[in-house]
Amino acid sequence: MLTKPYKHIPEETVPKKASRKAGSTTAVALAATMVVVGWGSSAFAAQNSHFGKKADVTINVAIAYPAPPAKLLDQFTAQTGIKVNYSYIQWDNLQTKIAAAAEAHTYFADVADVDWSKVGEYYATKWFVPLNKYFNVASLQSQYPQLASFVRDGQLLGMPSDVSLLVTTVNTNDLAKAGITTMPTTLMQYSADLNALKSKGVVQHPLDIPFAAAEGLSTYWYELTAAYGGQVLSPSYQPEFTSPNSPGYQAMEWMVSAYKSGLVPKGNLDLEDYPGFTQDEAHNLTASVFSDYSGDVGTIYDVPSDSTVVGDVSYIPTPGVKGIAPNLANPDGIGIPARAKNVNAAVTFIKWYDEAANQAAFAGANGPSEVVSTFPLPANVAGLSDLVNSGKVPGAAELASLAEHHSRAIFPAGAPPWYPAFSNAVYTNLHSAAAGQESVASAIKNIAAQVASLSG
Amino acid sequence: MTVTDAAAGEGYGPDPAAPARARRPRRDGALPYVMIAPLVVFIGALAIYPTVLTVIEAFMHIDPLTGPNHFAGFGNFSAIFRDPEVRQAIVNTGWYALFGVALTVGFGTGIALLLQRPFRGRGVVLAIIVLPWALPGVVEGVIWSWIYNPTFGVLNSALKSLHLIGQYQLFIGAHQVETILLIALVQAWQITPLAALIVLAALEAIPGELYEAASVDGASWHRTIRRVTLPLIRPALAIATVEALIMSLNIFDQVYVLNANSTTASSLMSTTYFITFQDLNFGEGYALSLMATVVTVAIAIGVVKLLYRKVDYQ
Repeated sequence: MLTKPYKHIPEETVPKKASRKAGSTTAVALAATMVVVGWGSSAFAAQNSHFGKKADVTINVAIAYPAPPAKLLDQFTAQTGIKVNYSYIQWDNLQTKIAAAAEAHTYFADVADVDWSKVGEYYATKWFVPLNKYFNVASLQSQYPQLASFVRDGQLLGMPSDVSLLVTTVNTNDLAKAGITTMPTTLMQYSADLNALKSKGVVQHPLDIPFAAAEGLSTYWYELTAAYGGQVLSPSYQPEFTSPNSPGYQAMEWMVSAYKSGLVPKGNLDLEDYPGFTQDEAHNLTASVFSDYSGDVGTIYDVPSDSTVVGDVSYIPTPGVKGIAPNLANPDGIGIPARAKNVNAAVTFIKWYDEAANQAAFAGANGPSEVVSTFPLPANVAGLSDLVNSGKVPGAAELASLAEHHSRAIFPAGAPPWYPAFSNAVYTNLHSAAAGQESVASAIKNIAAQVASLSG
Repeated sequence: MTVTDAAAGEGYGPDPAAPARARRPRRDGALPYVMIAPLVVFIGALAIYPTVLTVIEAFMHIDPLTGPNHFAGFGNFSAIFRDPEVRQAIVNTGWYALFGVALTVGFGTGIALLLQRPFRGRGVVLAIIVLPWALPGVVEGVIWSWIYNPTFGVLNSALKSLHLIGQYQLFIGAHQVETILLIALVQAWQITPLAALIVLAALEAIPGELYEAASVDGASWHRTIRRVTLPLIRPALAIATVEALIMSLNIFDQVYVLNANSTTASSLMSTTYFITFQDLNFGEGYALSLMATVVTVAIAIGVVKLLYRKVDYQ
């Protein structure tokens, strides 16, 4: 476990001359460059300020999570001499910036977000530095339950920065009102309970599925496919959902049928994942999310200012066709872009960010003052243990158990390089099927055709 | 008063009757160049340079997933026209342009006519009308997503209160043209203030004697609008139309917020974004951008030629 403070590693030489741009630059890249010029100048100023207790080196960090508490960052700077310019950038915008800067062969940041879904892409494009030189993958496997999501062909493209699972949540108060006292353990029971909630008038539309054409809809389908006992793509990335008897096909039929039968609110056709949690589930417009995100009970449903169901929503083991289903992993990671200027300092930051004590603090083990908003769970077993032992986060023990025993990578061999285009085909066709613009059979056929085109 | 072709170019320039003044050539040295240098650098870096690169790279295969980069001729263009999602986006963008121009110019002209005559509080009304123009498109998309919300949206509530609908309706996503119309309405809400101000400026330039003469001749309000006002504000209408057209052809924020990546109402710009930054097919993204730019410029020139007539009050 990475618990010791890290000594400052001498700064590597930064080339003074920018390398000539080899191919393409876009207007967007130019804008990104201008942002970086601003950063670069502050880094330059910091590197040339060696008086007092000023930092020896400054790194730029761009992550899709809010910054860690200033107190902890200050401690990091005091320990290592590394000052952190932290940029919290919304996930979609961050991916655009990473791509624009990489394609323009421009420096963007020293540490940046590596989402599980981007690992194949970064493996193919070499936009991120493999971390095997700095981290021992074999020794970390037992420590990090979701490390596999960041390894492709033996290359570690990012270090897990959290544990994130697709989990099932239910409003236990609603279930009680419908006379349901035993939590469902199979998909059949789960479906029956949803219908009971609707037919008894407890909740008019009890199920939240975010049917907007966006990533959250794709991952919902993956999780439901896992609950049906399968996976969407084989280890060689061939479709496993084309047969009407396949788990993927049945999962899609279940989702579309749930929408058309009124189990899902009509407005969910345009609703993405987080608005679904905050608008529907947190206000009891729905009573359950089959594929929720780990951490949402503590960060959304139990927050009195944002929720009318405080204390009512709980995690349950995800029901599958034959009992408890696996919980697919959708973790975030952090890595080092190929154009990073301060690689050693970046490695030091990543190790600090992943320290068990810090990870537990980000998730709430030390109380609200050190919480990183929307941070789900610590990335490593020690951090999970610290969090559970703190007793300060509702559902932490259940989630830690699910993470350690039921978590599974969505693509065991790592996400394919063309994952974003595949996901696009999934959510656009699934959205169209729910909207009645095409049948499930047609949606399945279109997605399979896209896989053939991408993998061919 | 005369309305002439733009090409005629009469009515402006130095007054030939004015006494000639002896002029001494000024020697400003480098000062003028220094003064315009920031603008030249700004336009060069942010407009000309990216445009030139876009033209060049539209003909290159640039896809980091399948590299290396190489010359592709018209390969990117043929690929985008074979892509059914691009074809759908082109059709959708045509609808956006049609609705966007009609709504923006229609509402803008209507608002300008209402504000033409002075009245108490006119300045405050003008300030309020301009507010949507100041809001970012994403913010407007979020605001209108609440208005259109099928569960608790204001629009559903209002329509139900008026007994125009029996139960709450799903407005966005159910039908293609309806969805596009409603998203175009959001953008029209944003850009109508600018159109209204452009038309209002033209209205205020019309001499009052012309209306007096029309009144003396017994012209009705409708006839006065048709025969006096509209011909005289034609240049402003041309500018407002071109502005609405350019904005509609480039609609992105509202589509992204209200429609996500559904093909139901995808626009050319949203499709370009996804091809470029999601599929990482930069070459096709450049080609699509170039095509959109050329089409936008061509249509804008056509509209100007069709609508614009110079107005001379002398």
